[in-house]
Order: sequence, then C-alpha cells, then structure tokens
Amino acid sequence: MSEAVLVAAVSPAKARNWRFRHVLLALNVAAVAAVSLLWWASTRFGWVAPIFLPAPGDVLHAARLTLANGDLLTDIAVSARRVFLGFVLAAVVAVPLGIVMGVWRPAKAIVDPFVSLLRPLPSITWIPLTILWLGIGEAQKVAIVFMGSWIYILLYTVESTRRVDPLLLRAARNLGATDFAIMREVILPGALPGIITGLKVTLAISWSCVLTAEMIAAQSGLGALIWQAKDWGNLPLVLVGMLCISLTVLVADWLMRLIERALLPWERNRSN
Amino acid sequence: MTKIFDTDRGRSLVAIQDVSLDVIEGEFLCLLGASGCGKSTMLSLFAGFLQPSSGHVMLRGQPITRIEPRCGMVFQSYALFPWKTVRGNVEFGPKMQGVGRSVRRATAQRFIDMVKLTGFENHYPAELSGGMQQRVTLARILAANPEVLLMDEPFAALDAMTRQIMQGELLRIHDASGKTTVFITHSIDEALILSDRIVVMSARPGRIKTILPNPLPSPRHVSVQLSPEYAALKAQVWQMVESDLLAHDETFRPNH
Ligand SMILES: Nc1ncnc2c1ncn2[C@@H]1O[C@H](COP(=O)(O)OP(=O)(O)O)[C@@H](O)[C@H]1O
Ligand SMILES: [Mg+2]
Repeated sequence: MSEAVLVAAVSPAKARNWRFRHVLLALNVAAVAAVSLLWWASTRFGWVAPIFLPAPGDVLHAARLTLANGDLLTDIAVSARRVFLGFVLAAVVAVPLGIVMGVWRPAKAIVDPFVSLLRPLPSITWIPLTILWLGIGEAQKVAIVFMGSWIYILLYTVESTRRVDPLLLRAARNLGATDFAIMREVILPGALPGIITGLKVTLAISWSCVLTAEMIAAQSGLGALIWQAKDWGNLPLVLVGMLCISLTVLVADWLMRLIERALLPWERNRSN
Repeated sequence: MTKIFDTDRGRSLVAIQDVSLDVIEGEFLCLLGASGCGKSTMLSLFAGFLQPSSGHVMLRGQPITRIEPRCGMVFQSYALFPWKTVRGNVEFGPKMQGVGRSVRRATAQRFIDMVKLTGFENHYPAELSGGMQQRVTLARILAANPEVLLMDEPFAALDAMTRQIMQGELLRIHDASGKTTVFITHSIDEALILSDRIVVMSARPGRIKTILPNPLPSPRHVSVQLSPEYAALKAQVWQMVESDLLAHDETFRPNH
C-alpha cells in the first residue's frame, strides 16, 4: 500500500481561517477596551489632572448634551456640506482637465508650471486671500476645500490616464477603434480605478481643509465647535468634536468604497 | 525590410535584417524560430504597430503606414480589456464596426461557443486562467473578422488537449473563410500540422533561413503525426533549427 503524499481537504483549513478571523476581531475589541479602561483609570485615580484629560464619563455627558440640543448634528451637517461642495467642484474641474493633460502633452505643458507653484501651498495659506475675496461665509469655506483638493485629484487623474496600458490602445486600434472610441472604451475605463483611488485619498484631505478653515474663521461646523469649546475651557466637548471628525471621515470613506465597488465591477474579485 | 530598435544605452539592436517575404492570399503561413529571432517584431510590422527602419510592408499593393484593422492581431500577451467581460471583449470588434447590438451579441456568442467558453460570457478576464484568456483573444479577433489573421503564439498557454482542439478549429475556420493567416510558433509540430508554408527564422540578427512548403496533404488531421512522411519532415526542420540553436547561445523559451 502506498501512502498519499499530498492531501487536499477543505474543512480543516476553512475552519482555521474562520477561527483566526474571530481571534482578530476579538483582538480589535480587546485593544479598544484596554485603552478605554486605561483612560478611565488614569482619570479616576488622578494619574492625570482633569484639565489635561477629561474622564470618559464627562465626554459621554458632553456628547449627550450637544446631541440633545441638536448642535452636534448641525455642525456635522454644516461641515459635511462644505466638504461635499468643495470636493465635488474640485473633481468636476480636475478630472476632465487631468484626462486632457494625460492624453495631450501641450495641455500638460501649459498647466504643469502652475501645478508646481500651487502644490507646495497648504490650504491654510489660502485663508487670507479667500477671506479678502469671499468674506467668511460658506463660499470661503468651500473655496478652501477646493484649493486644498483639486491639485491632488488632478495629479492622480493625469498619472492614471498616462498609465493606461499602451498595448490595450494598440489592441483597440487594431480592432478598428476611432480616437473617440479609444477615449470612451479604453482610456476612461483604464484610468478610472486610479482616479477613484485619487478621489478617496483626496476626500480625507478635503476634510482636514474644512476643519482648518472652520477653526480660523467660522461660527459653525466641527472645526468651530472644537475651537469654541477650547475657548470656553470645555475639554470634554473638544474630545466629542474630535471623535465626531474621525467617525464622519470613516463614514465618508466607507461611502466612497461603496461607490468604487459599484463603478469598478471588474476589480471586485481579482485573482491575480 | 530591416527593423532596428534603439535600446536604452544608446545602442541599437537589429531585430530583423533584410527580410523579404511574400504572403500569398489565402495561405496559412507559419513563422518558426527560437525566442528572440524577431518573430513578434515581424508581426508587429505587418499590423502597423511598428514601422520598418528600411523597406516597407505592403497590403494588396498599398504600404501600411499606421495601425491596420484589416490585419487582426492575436497578441502573445492577450491584451484583453480588463474592464470588459468576455462578451464585451469579443463584441468589441463588431461594435467598432457599427454592428447593431443584437447582431453583435449573436456573433460574439458564436465565437465564444467555438472557443469552448460557453457559460463564461459574463466573467472578467482576471477571473479566467491564462489558457482561457488566450481563447478569448482568439474569439475576439475572429468576431472582428479582419482580412488577414496575425497570430503570435496564440496557443502557447493552452494545455495539450485544448491546443489540439483549437488547432482543429483554426484549420476549419481557415478552410471555410480562406483568410490569409500568419501564425507564429516555436513548435515544429504545430507548424507542420497547421501551415501551408513554414518560414524558418534564425536569430541575431533575425533573418529568414528558408521557406519550406508543407507537402502534407490537407485538410490535415492530427493523425498525420503518425505517418513516416511527417517524421521525415520534422527531422528536416529540426536540423535547420538545431544548427541555429547551437550556433547561438540561446535556449528554447516560450514568450519573448
Ligand atoms: N521595443 C523593443 N525595443 C528594443 N528591442 C526590442 C523591442 N522589441 C523587441 N526587441 C528585441 O528584438 C529581438 C526580437 O524580438 P521579438 O520579435 O520579440 O522575438 P520573438 O518574438 O521571435 O521571440 C529581441 O532581441 C528583442 O529583445
Ligand atoms: Mg514573440
């Protein structure tokens, strides 16, 4: 009798994989619980003075108060609206421009110097000029988001347009595609994954832009909430604001990923 | 014609030198040779992807100066559109020709069935094995129905059984349509089974060594491989390729 050298069996490996994933999930929960416990203990036993770090209970209390009077949700909505407008405006300008720059070298030559000049400027440096031009209303916040976002979207779009596999362009031409068809059938779908990655990365940047703008000159929004709470010495509310920012950006990112999945069906289960 | 590539370090590489070849209307021509002897380069010149450094390529008396849709190419590296399903890829040629939706769908289905990919119409290329992707490229070019078929090792990634089936299908299509076909292979067996004429190439620089008419009776069947005639031919071709292999420090490698 000869023995089997190689055995393929489904169940043990699968079960191990399943168990491993639950171990990982448990580790997630345990890590958060441990840090929370440490936080609670350090305030409860006076290891850290409350003026430097408020107790978890105080933060929860502050959150309940600002949720109850509707301030928190209003601020989230106000910030989200500014981000949305600035981001969409940036995408509407930068994606088509980037595609043109990617396929037509002269356009790139014209725009490139300005990109080089503007790229090193953090969005915060635009605050004086935008206030001068637009005041401190909504338009100015949207402009800050726009100025901080469009260049990144542009760079990602140009790169992904240029990276479309030249072999596929050849193949399409060989199959009789016209310039227009090449654009629609090959360049656009070929560049789309890179463009969407760029939009995802930029969305987080847009959020940091709006918060900076709100901290410096605004009556509403999450950035203003944090800044005003600091002025009142309401540290628990500062922490509530910070947590809300994290959660909001996470939700925005998750929405982006849903959109990505819907737009790129061929990237869903790539085997290689 | 001659094709010289400029390589990175400012040196130039003669990929094909002083090649002169008439492809006869309706024939099945095999380019046979070791890796690196310029077979792919030659096909790229035929398709208009490259322009010769000297000389010219003519199609029915007209020089080819740009990418030529009348010479359909099956790429060695598949070149499938990753964002299109199998059906979308196969429908691409007819779609570019302005064929209506239902007609091109039927055309695509016919060729998908022919390459034995029925049931995979809605799969994306990344979900298929190499051999399956290779068959999609074959179906895609056949659906586009070009005047000349250029095929760069189209069966290299297939297992022996599927390859035999595909060879049979290709011969059948060739007999039925009378399409001029230029087919690259580094398999002597494949060349002998498929072709009307075999162009044996040698490397460094790429040249045509000989052109052998294939005397095996056609239509051919794989069983010709058992005949003594076949064995003699194979030995003859092998001798020619072997001397080239020994002269150059090159081994038989698929791809490139
Ligand atoms: N685009 C290119 N630039 C520089 N050298 C090339 C290029 N394409 C092919 N070559 C060279 O030309 C020679 C012939 O290549 P190729 O036609 O691909 O050979 P084959 O298909 O017979 O294996 C090789 O030495 C290869 O390195
Ligand atoms: Mg090759």
